[in-house]
Formats: sequence, structure tokens, C-alpha cells
Amino acid sequence: MSARPAGASPVVAAAVEGLRAPVIRALGLHSGWGRGAAALPAEARVAASGRRVLSLGRPEALDARYAGDRFRRATRECLWALASVEAMLEDGEAAREAIEGDGTALVFVTAAVYAASNRAFVEGGGGRGTHFAYTAPAVVPAEVAIEFGLTGPSTVFIGGPPATLHGIWYAATLLAEGACDRALVLAVETFTECEDLYARARRLTGGPLVEAAGCLWLEPGAGTIALRPAGASRAAGAAIRARVGETFACEPLAAIAAWRHRGAREPLTLEGRWRGASTVLQWQDGQETAGG
Amino acid sequence: MSARGRIALVAAGVATPIGQDVDAFWSSLLTGVDGISTIEHFPVADLRVGRGGEIKKLTRVKDWSGVSDCRATRLLISAADELAAHAGLRPLPAAPTRVAVVVGTALGGVAEGERALAGDRRARRLRGGLYDSPAHNLARWLGARGPVITVSTACASGATAIGVGADLLRQGLADAVVAGGYDALSRFVMRGFDALRSLTRDQVRPFDRRRSGLLLGEAGALVLLRRDGEAGPRRLGTLLGHASVGDGAHISAPHPEGRGLERAIRMAMAQAGVTPADLDFVSAHGTGTLLNDRIETAVLKRVLGARAPAVPVNSIKPMLGHTMGAAATLEAIMCLLAGRHGQIPPTRHLEEPDPECDLDYVPGAARAARPRLSLSTSLGFGGQNAALVLEAAP
Repeated sequence: MSARPAGASPVVAAAVEGLRAPVIRALGLHSGWGRGAAALPAEARVAASGRRVLSLGRPEALDARYAGDRFRRATRECLWALASVEAMLEDGEAAREAIEGDGTALVFVTAAVYAASNRAFVEGGGGRGTHFAYTAPAVVPAEVAIEFGLTGPSTVFIGGPPATLHGIWYAATLLAEGACDRALVLAVETFTECEDLYARARRLTGGPLVEAAGCLWLEPGAGTIALRPAGASRAAGAAIRARVGETFACEPLAAIAAWRHRGAREPLTLEGRWRGASTVLQWQDGQETAGG
Repeated sequence: MSARGRIALVAAGVATPIGQDVDAFWSSLLTGVDGISTIEHFPVADLRVGRGGEIKKLTRVKDWSGVSDCRATRLLISAADELAAHAGLRPLPAAPTRVAVVVGTALGGVAEGERALAGDRRARRLRGGLYDSPAHNLARWLGARGPVITVSTACASGATAIGVGADLLRQGLADAVVAGGYDALSRFVMRGFDALRSLTRDQVRPFDRRRSGLLLGEAGALVLLRRDGEAGPRRLGTLLGHASVGDGAHISAPHPEGRGLERAIRMAMAQAGVTPADLDFVSAHGTGTLLNDRIETAVLKRVLGARAPAVPVNSIKPMLGHTMGAAATLEAIMCLLAGRHGQIPPTRHLEEPDPECDLDYVPGAARAARPRLSLSTSLGFGGQNAALVLEAAP
């Protein structure tokens, strides 16, 4: 994870009318490559060595901790969501009490995390009511909200990288409106359980599928933030995708992790492409901008 | 709320089991048409309950060429076809890159995923099984090239989508937003709710002491959102406030005291700048489950205070079933139609009130009243709660 000290504000601002940019307080990231940005390879295809899916496996520590309690029903994707929040707290050197309560908004983003539960439900005959609830994407952030006591604004966006950019924009909106004191943007993608299905659609994805779970902690900032469509640009997000592999909604969080890890000083620009359309989110250092 | 913050709902389009356009939907609500029937589109003989609000045939769109055969997509496009006629979407009211699509769904095109798992090896089945697929199909059909956002706050999705769409307009990220919700009936969802024992073998009876569960339905519902000053005088009404809040209590049940719902209502009212004294009507989530109706009643009593007994509250779910992602959008449209036409649709099948549910739920027949300010509430799996505050056009 980034060596940036807790509480630092690598922030961004920009052009769109009126929307204040948030500062990044912390980021937790797990991926099929390992924990944090330091584990990300230089080139996903090479590092994958022919593997189609880089699995997160199961978070053993969480498995053990929750054995026997209500989380025994929690799916692998729920456990990784919890693990990414814990990694975020560690990155921010914060206790879980720091995010508890009405003041924390939670924005969950995923393209396909529900696929594993859907398949298990369909192929299991559909007779297990408790399992059915886990086919709802909203249940992944719900497990996080239950575990960490989050009772603030909440929403779920479905889609690939642009959906995460929309999620960050929405979190910025909630912060700018004063609807919350901090906002978490959570993204989780798993692929292992449906590897055979994704193999049928190989031409739809460009590289190895890399499971990931990330959580971004945002707080109010001073600059502005710009979200704009970028037409059908194939280049959008290509660099981080080539480096990390296909992580769907987690891609922008991986890009932020990489940006922080290299201690970049340039303004952060996030790009995402999905279903033939591209989106760009531009942040600039709000404090620099404010200071002229 | 400032004029900049007010968002106009210009027009609507719907596809429901009780009407495939807004006029038919409204007239069915007033007359109490029963949209519940035995499901015919897929086998249900092995289920405890095989009834629901099924649309037997989508009749509005005559030519489906070039449109995915995904049922969820077709529900959305049926609704969009009516919206296009009412709101003048041909040509689009703004540059295509300035027209956004924001739709809510609990299950997306999940039936496409079922087909893929059942052996349909075409890549488009897999792609269609992703929950954001119908929204992109809709955007393509409309020719919209602005942000395409799929919201999935379970059965509160249709409210959250309207709220997110309003925020896109307020932030200047779009000049027109097609917003709403949809969900199709499928074996997947019927089996799921059947396994949860949530479906009733009786009628859906919100707030009735005999209530024993919900029935599902399918629908598509869309509205065109514009900034207040750009919408022109002809409109359904105005969105004054919205909020979507998590309650962090349980994955499939509301907070036992409804704290999340209460927060959502209070936040939406604060954004709207209204007090309980201003509210004329509440469209309740009103699923007809034991827990929901009791909790929702308690929350409304806390929020409305002394006014609670005087504010009419209804649930339209007995007539068309719980249409999941579409429900909150349909209910928002209903609130604004009530204000336009001076009638509040009844809560059907409410005959023996539960003593714990002691508000005015408009039992029996439609009531002559012209609600100007309405509150619409929604709840969903994952502890999701949403509230909209709406003002009917004068």
C-alpha cells in the first residue's frame, strides 16, 4: 500500500461547474496479484503466464474470525468487501469507529460480483431462501454496513470502470451537499465461480480476469472535480488495464492505488471504458488550485 | 429549495400489468383493476405460489427489430416508447452527449444469465445477464450518449435512480435525463421469493391484519427529468427532495424500528425544505408483509407526528404486484397523477385494519383529494431505504 502518510490529501479539482472535489483519505485494495499497489505487476498478460483468472481465494483471517456467526452465510465477495474496508482503515491509520454512524456514505460499485451467487442459486435448485438474498448486489455493501455500523447515505451502481467514476462523482456530490462527512467508494469483482462462462466470451475482455476488492475513503476538499464522457475512445483506461488485467469496476481504484504508490504529483485523471463508451474523471490538487 | 435544485418530471411512460400507457395505468388504479394472474411465461408448477403481476403481451411497440429479445430490455423500451411520444424525445431534447439514462433495477436482465447457464452459448446472453445491460440497450434505442447509469438498491432502485438523475442535472452533467426503473418476472426471482416464503397465496393486503405477504409483478417505468427552468410549463410535477440511506441492520429485513427509512424521509424533506405540515399524501412501500407494514406505519407516525392520522397513505402493490425496480418510479408517477386528477387510488384488499397499522390508508375506493406535496417511500434488500418528495403540477 502507499507510503503516503495518513491524512494526506492528494487531491484533485477541475472544471465542472460547482462540484467540489473530495480529498483521498485512504484506500484499501486487494487483488488477485496480492495486497495493495505494490503487488501489481508491470504487465498483466506476462505476469498471468497464461492463467485466465487470477483469484483472490478466500480471506482466511476473516473466514476464521466469522466462522459460526451470522457471517457464516456471507459469500466470498462479501468477505473481500470487508477485507478491503479493513485495509482502507489500516492505510488511513484509523479505527473502525472513525467511519461508524450516519456520517459515512457508502457507494458500492460492481459489474458482475453477483454472478457467483446467481449461479450458485440457479444450479443449487433455488431452494435456499437465505442464499437468494445474496444474489442482490446491494447485499455486499449491506454486509459492510452491518459490520462497520454504517448508516449514512447509500447507493449501488452497476457497471464497469465508468460506473466507478460515476460512483466517485456521486460520493463527491454527497460530500459537497453536506449529506455526509465522509464517503466510501467500494468496488468488488470476483470471477472464479464463472470462469467457464467468461471463457466463452473471451473476446469481450482484453486480458486476464483479475479478482479485486477495493475501498476508497473520501472527505470534503477544496477544489472541483470534472466528469465527462469521452466518446468511444479505446485508449481510455488501456494503460492500467494492460498493467493490472481486467478488474471491471475495480479498475479506477487500482489506478488510484498505482498513482499514490508512485507518489505521483501530476493531477489524477481516471479513465474508464465499458460497453463501447468511455468516461473521464479529472481531479486536480484543490489546495494548489485554491492557492492560485 | 432553490429553483436550480428543483427538477421537473416532464412526462412519463409505463408498461405495467394493469396498463401499457400512463392513461390506462391511472384508470386501472382508480377502478381497482386486478393485474394479478397465473404466470404463463415460464413454468411455476413447482413453486408454492405461481401468481404475479405478469404482462401477458407487450402491445405498444409493434416492431422489435434491432432490439434485444431480453424481456427486461423490452419492458424498458415499451415504457420509453410512450415517454418518447409524450416528452418529444424524437429528436432528443438536447445534444445526445447531454442526454443521460439512469435506471434502477433489482435484477437487471437476470433471465439472460439463466439462459446462458442453461446452455445458450451466445456471448450476448452472457453480456445480457449483466445487470447494466438493459440500461445500455435503452440508451442505444434512444440515441442517448451521455452517462448511462444502472442503480441497484434492490426494490428501492426506482427512487434512487430518479434521485441520481436529478443530481446529474443539478451538477450540470446532463441537460435531460431519462430516469426510472424496471424488472421482469423470471423463474429466478419467483424461486427466490418463493424460497424466502415471502409470497402470499392470498391477496396482497397491505396494512390488513390478515396480510400474509407480497406478490411480485413486472413493469417498466420512466420519466423525463429536466432542470426546472428548462422544462417548460407542461409537466407532471417537480422533484423537491430525495435521499437513499442504508440502515446497516440486516441483509433482507428492514431495521426493526425503521431507523434507515426515517433518516431517508427526514433527509428528503430537509432537501425539499418541507415540514410534515406541508405533506398532503404518502405513497407507502406497502408490500403487505407483516414486518414492512408495521415498521413503515411506525416510521410515518414518528415523522408526521400529530398530523399522521390526517395524511392519506396508500399502497398500489395489491393491484400490480411488487414490481421491484419499477415500483418506486410507478409510485412517484402515481403521486403526481393524483395531484393532477384530484383522486387518490385506494389500497385494495385492505378490509380488516391491523390495530398496529392505524393510519388512513384509503381503503375501498379512490378518494377525491388533490395532493400537492407527496412523499413516496421505498425499501429494499441490503437495508436500502429511499424517499422522494414530489410536488404535483398546478
